Formats: sequence, structure tokens, C-alpha cells
Amino acid sequence: MSGAHPDAAGGRELSLAPQRPSLAPTPAAAGRVASRRRALPSGMWGMALFLGAESMLFAGLISSYFYLDFRATRWPPAGARLPETLIPSILTAVLVTTSVPVALAARRAIAGRRAATMALLGLAAFVQSGYLAYQLHDLVDQVHSLPPQGSAYASAYIALLGLHHAHVLLGVLLDLGMLFWLALSGLSDYRVTGVRCVALYWHVVNVIAVAVLLTELTPVL
Amino acid sequence: MASTLSPPARAHVELLERVWEERKGVFGWVTTVDHKRIGLMYLFASMAFFAAGGVEALLIRTQLIGPQQHLLSPETYDEIFTMHGITMIFLVVIPMTTGAFGNYLVPLMIGARDMAFPRMNAVSFWIFLGSGVFLYVALATGQAPNAGWFDYVPLASKQFDPGTNIDFYGYGLIFNGIASTATAINIIVTIFKLRAPGMSLNRMPLFCYAFLAAAFSLVFALPALTLATIFLELDRQLGFHFYDAGFGGDPLLWQNLFWIFGHPEVYIIILPAFGIATSIIPTFVHRRMVMFPMVALAELLVAFLGFGVWAHHMFAVGLPTLVTVYFAATSLIIVIPSAIQLFAWITTILTGKPEFTTPLLWIIGFIVFFIIGGLSGVTVAAIPFDQQVNASYYIVAHFHFVIFGGAVFPILGGLYYWFPKVTGRMYHEGVGKLSFWLSFIGTLVTFFPMHIAGIEGMPRRIYTYTAASGWTTLNALESAGAYLLAAGLLLVIVNLAVSLFKGAPAGADPWGGDTLEWATSSPPPAYNYAVIPTVSSAYPMWDEEDRERDRRRLERGQGLLARGHETPGTTVQDALLDEVLAMPPSSPLPALVGAVVFAGFIALVLAHFLIAAGIGGLAAALLVAWHVPPRGEKPAAEGGAR
Repeated sequence: MSGAHPDAAGGRELSLAPQRPSLAPTPAAAGRVASRRRALPSGMWGMALFLGAESMLFAGLISSYFYLDFRATRWPPAGARLPETLIPSILTAVLVTTSVPVALAARRAIAGRRAATMALLGLAAFVQSGYLAYQLHDLVDQVHSLPPQGSAYASAYIALLGLHHAHVLLGVLLDLGMLFWLALSGLSDYRVTGVRCVALYWHVVNVIAVAVLLTELTPVL
Repeated sequence: MASTLSPPARAHVELLERVWEERKGVFGWVTTVDHKRIGLMYLFASMAFFAAGGVEALLIRTQLIGPQQHLLSPETYDEIFTMHGITMIFLVVIPMTTGAFGNYLVPLMIGARDMAFPRMNAVSFWIFLGSGVFLYVALATGQAPNAGWFDYVPLASKQFDPGTNIDFYGYGLIFNGIASTATAINIIVTIFKLRAPGMSLNRMPLFCYAFLAAAFSLVFALPALTLATIFLELDRQLGFHFYDAGFGGDPLLWQNLFWIFGHPEVYIIILPAFGIATSIIPTFVHRRMVMFPMVALAELLVAFLGFGVWAHHMFAVGLPTLVTVYFAATSLIIVIPSAIQLFAWITTILTGKPEFTTPLLWIIGFIVFFIIGGLSGVTVAAIPFDQQVNASYYIVAHFHFVIFGGAVFPILGGLYYWFPKVTGRMYHEGVGKLSFWLSFIGTLVTFFPMHIAGIEGMPRRIYTYTAASGWTTLNALESAGAYLLAAGLLLVIVNLAVSLFKGAPAGADPWGGDTLEWATSSPPPAYNYAVIPTVSSAYPMWDEEDRERDRRRLERGQGLLARGHETPGTTVQDALLDEVLAMPPSSPLPALVGAVVFAGFIALVLAHFLIAAGIGGLAAALLVAWHVPPRGEKPAAEGGAR
């Protein structure tokens, strides 16, 4: 309880953190406040809420898949080819492991290490782009072998894949945008929050990747 | 206020004026990130859409004024009633509450200087405006959505509605949803992170609780609508089969997804209205809200329970009995938190010293209509009765009492209540009361007979009826009420417009209000508060010691935060000062992003998918440019950002 708030001296307690400098009068003090901040930065809250909305989107999509599944007499319909198991599982595993470099990049960023942050984020972006390129190529094949115009099953299957790929694409764009600004303008407090937001985005998209994979594999499980 | 300042205080205020100076003229408005200006732009835009939706309502009522009228063709009638519904819900009530009231008042009430993400706030306004223009482009080109605001398939499928009408609906609502989601996230983060030091969650105004609950509902409910419309457009444009029973799809999937959004939507509409009511009532009955914690919890509980009642819109589609009974039960449970709030308002009014000014009259009107709409809501939660009156005018009566009486009345009351704060001038009290009584009687006469018409069997959405049906008198009465209502609403606008120029000066706090927005001058300066206020109860304006302390700190220049656009960030639960946030300056990018997204959706509706993708890439590039480092930002030294 060092340095009580000046306003706390007379009258009521003001609930200002007693050990904190009062409303940071100088830039240095503002920096100290930021370095000791206890709540998550606003950007993280914003990203978390955005990801909440995106998770609802996928929850709705997966629910729709099972809704149609339970209403159908045969699912997948007669003649539709069954989903492959091995390659999608390996690919998803590869995507999920990119959570590691992304999480490390966020920690390096908090520690103020720009070069390490960029290297880790670059590594993640490289693997994620490779994943996306393979998946998009594969999607074209799948659309030919299981045209979404053929049945509701194919529609739900392709939509589930396509919507997740769109989220991976957005994530790769976030990586590249982040790398662009890290290279150009260094690691400010704003960028650190940015890297943490990108990391959070990937963690959620990777968890959703597992949910999407499991949903699509239900006919062969 | 300025005249009473001592020289040191005036010097501090002048410093802030320089730091927060805004560009003048149209360019200043287009590039602004000030939450108050954005709130006003939301207000003007949603008022324009309100006028359009009102004209559509009058066209509907004129068409139905007598049997066998030919003002509108059946096809035009479909477009008009669909646009009326879409306009009032997506382009009027949501932007008016979360956009205009939320933007303008939430930062003021919590003692902040802006929203948490000011530029995202601006972009959500421009995207909202774009989506509204997009939908009205459809009406202007004779391609307006025409399958009702809930757009049931298979009527809305390509087979039965081959034009671009439904595509405008699908893309328009996705477009609009982007804006609403961004605004909702902004409101939540602002409330969580930007509250004045000392405004712990239990001292937060009930208004903010209501907006918090509505914003959470928006974030988690809108994705269901977005998903439903994505499926719809995939079906219509690319031949997918989500809703096509012939290929294993299911039309009921649309209904489920739509109402998973659609029922929380009802609370998204009405919760902000609850918030406005809980602001106005304590001020004019001169006492605190009774049961403050219960009302706060009830507001959150209503939003939460709102996610579990959607299938009560589907009692007549042949769901299993167990399912319908479950949803009937949840629909009745939601009465409990609603009644808690209702009894709290009534008790507060009865145990206080009510002063029946115009804003309080609108709130009392709201309480009356909310009771009528709530009671008819209880009747339609009873499955057998619902199956009788389903898709009849009884339902139209029910939801107009809830949405028009329940949401729009508090909005109008709120317009009067905060008019002095926003403009610095008083409205005309006599004309204000007259406008209330005209609207009150107009609402009753318009919507009450619809209950009877519905029970007598008049279906919704029919463009005319025969004299033999026996509905002629009721419909003539309803139409007469609609004109009366329109006159009342027009009088509101006239009153406010004339008062803007001729009203008496209002001063900072004409009502003796309890929340922080009354602490600053009217209209508030760009920086909202000269010193960041500190808060020690839920009624900060009635804590004179605290406000006196603010004045002393202004003399000393303590807590001025004038090194740029700064505002304090506090901890989520206890609102302990945590950091000083630097807010962005004005920027042309938000409006530009809005324009680009508008172009992208036009390309989509014209089915130029490659062009749309290209425009999407442009939008992504703009969003990267968005994060250009602000002038003067120094990268943190190696090894110590945080």
C-alpha cells in the first residue's frame, strides 16, 4: 500500500488502485501502467468476441449438418462417396500444430523480441499457407467427385469445408498483414496486442478445424 | 460552465480543446471517429429509414382501409410489407438503439472519452448506411425483397422467386450484420474496459447493463442469420440443396436458423428500450430505481433466456409435441425476468414523486403497451391458442405492441430526454405532451383492433379482403389510427426540429439526472470530460462530493490526460485504473472501407463473383493500411513491451 492515492486522503475511498500512479501524468508513467496492466488489452477482448461470433457460425453449421443427418433416411445418400479419413486427419494435425509457433510468437512479442516474433509467425504462416494451398486444390477435386448440387449431404459437406478454408485464408492474411507491419514499423504496444490477437485467432480456428474434421468423418466413424 | 471557471481551470480546458479539435464541414463528418458524431449520423440515417418504413406502413394501411382497394398491386404489396419489416427492424430499431443511443450515451455514462474502437465504430456506421442504401436500391429498381421479413423457404427459393429480390434480402442482411456485430463488440469492450475509475460493475448504470445484454445477444445471435442467408444464397446462386426437400434438404432448417436469430432479436430490440426506461424513470420520480441488482440481473437473464425460446415461432409447423411443450415452457419462464423489471419500474414510479414530463409519459405509455403486448404474448405461448391465431392479425397486433409500443416509445421518450444534452436546448413541453397523446391514442386505435380482426380470422399479409368477410370496420379504424399515429410522430420531429433553433438554453443538467452524462456541458465537448470523473456509487451525479472533487482536480490539472486523444482503461470487474489508452485521430479510411464493401455487395447481387472477390481483396488491403502506426508512436525498446 505504498503511495496512497491523493484523492483517497480526504473523503471516501475511490477504488483507484492504491499502488498505482494517479492517472499517469507523464508518458513514462503511462508506459509503466501499461507494463503492469492487469486486464487484457481491449484488442484481445475485441478479437475474443469476434471469435465468439465465428464460433457461433460454425456451431450453427455443424448443427445444421447433424440436423439434416437426423432428418434423412440415409446419410450420406446412396451412391455418394464416403469421406477420406487419413489425409484430412494428417492435414488437420499439421494445421493444429501451428498453434505452437503462433503461441510462442505472442510470448516473444510480449518479451519485446521482434526478430523472434517475426520468425515464428513467418514459420506458422508458411505451414498454414501450404495447408491452405493443398486444401483448396483438394476442394476442387472434391467438388467434382461429390458435387454440392447432388444432395443436401454434399452441400453441407462442401460448405463446411469451404467455410473453414475461408477462415484459414483470413488467418493467413492476418499473418501476412502482421508481418508486413512488424517489418516496417517495429514492435510497439499496439503491435504486441496485434500479434496476441492473431495468435488467439489461430487457436480458435484450429480448434474449429478439429470439430469440422470430426463432423465430416462421422459417416465413417 | 465556461464562465465560472477559474483561470487555471480555463487553461486546462483550452488545452483539451486544442488537442481534440475536429475538422470542420462535411469532410469532418465523413472522417470523424468521435462517438457522438457517429451516434448522431446513426440517428439521422435511422430517422430517414424510419420515415421510409413509416410511409410503407401508411401505404399498407391505405391499401387495407376498405375492401377491394387497388392502391397497390399484390406484387407491390408483397414488396412493401417486406420492406416495412426489414426497414423497421434492421435499419431503424437496431441502429437507433445500439448505433445512435449506444454510441452517443454509453461512453458518456461510463465517463469515457470515446468507444473502445473508434475507427471500427465509424466503419460500422458506414457499412450500416451502405446496407440500408443497398436494400433501398432494390426497392427503387423494383427488385425489393418480397417474401416477408422472415423470408421462409420454399417461397424464397429460386424456383418460386426467381428474380434478384431475395438475393437483395440475403446479401443485404449479411451486409447489415457486419455493421451490427462490429457495433455490438465495440459496446461490450467499451463497457468492460473504459469505465471511469471506481465504476465497478455493481455501480454501472442500468442503461449500460441493458446495452451490454443486447450487445451480447447481437454477437451470438446474428451468426445464425448470417449462416441461414449464406445457405439461402448457396442454394439460389450455386444450386446447393440445404432447403430443398427433394434432395435431402429441409425447409424447416431455415425456420430454425432464422428464429435462433429471430427471437434473441426481439430482446435485442427491446432491451435497449428497457435501458432507456430505467434511465428516465429515476430522474423524473426523484428516487433511485428499486431492486437495482435484480433489474440488472433480469436484463441479463432476459437476453440469456431469449436464446432458448425460438421454436415458439414454429408451433404450427408440426414439431413433435415434446419439443413444442418445451418451448412453450421456456417462453413462459421468460415472463419472470420481464415481470421483475416491470414491477421494479411501477414500484419506483408509485413510491417516488413522479413529475409527468414528456419523457416520463412516453415511458408510461411504453409500460402500458408492454403489458398489453406481454399479455398477448402469454396467450400465444399457449400452444392450442397459438395454432388458432397463427399467421393472423392477432400476431401482428402482438408484436406491434411489443416492438412499436415496447421499443419505439422508449426511443421517442429517450429522444426527448437526451435532446437537451445533445443540442443544449430544451424542447417544447406542451407540444411534446400533445405528440405523446396523439401517438398513444394512434397506437391503441391502430393495433388494438388487430387482435379482434385476427381472432375473426383475418390472415397476415393479404393485400385485400372482401366486404363479406366482416373486417371492414376494424380495418377502417386501424387505418384511421395509423394516420393519427403518423401525425403524432410528425409532431415529435417538428417539435425537436424547431426546438433545435428556438429552444431555451438547457444547461448541463436540466433534469437533475443521476448518471454521468449530465456532468458535462450540453452539447458535450469532443473530449466529453475535462477531467476523468471518478465514481463511488451507481448514482454519480447525486454524489456531490465526487463532482466537487472533479472540479478541484480540473483546477490542479490532475487526470487531464491531454497528451493526445487519451482515455483511461480500467479493470473489467472493479474498474481500477489500469492504463492510459491512446485513441486514434480522425481518418478517411472507415468511409472508404464502407464504400468498397458496398461495391462488393453490388457485385455479389449482380452475380459477378470474381469482381466481388477482387473488391474483397481491396477491402483487405485497406484494412492492412488501417494499421499504419500513428504519428509519434515509438516502438518499445527491445525486451520490455509489457
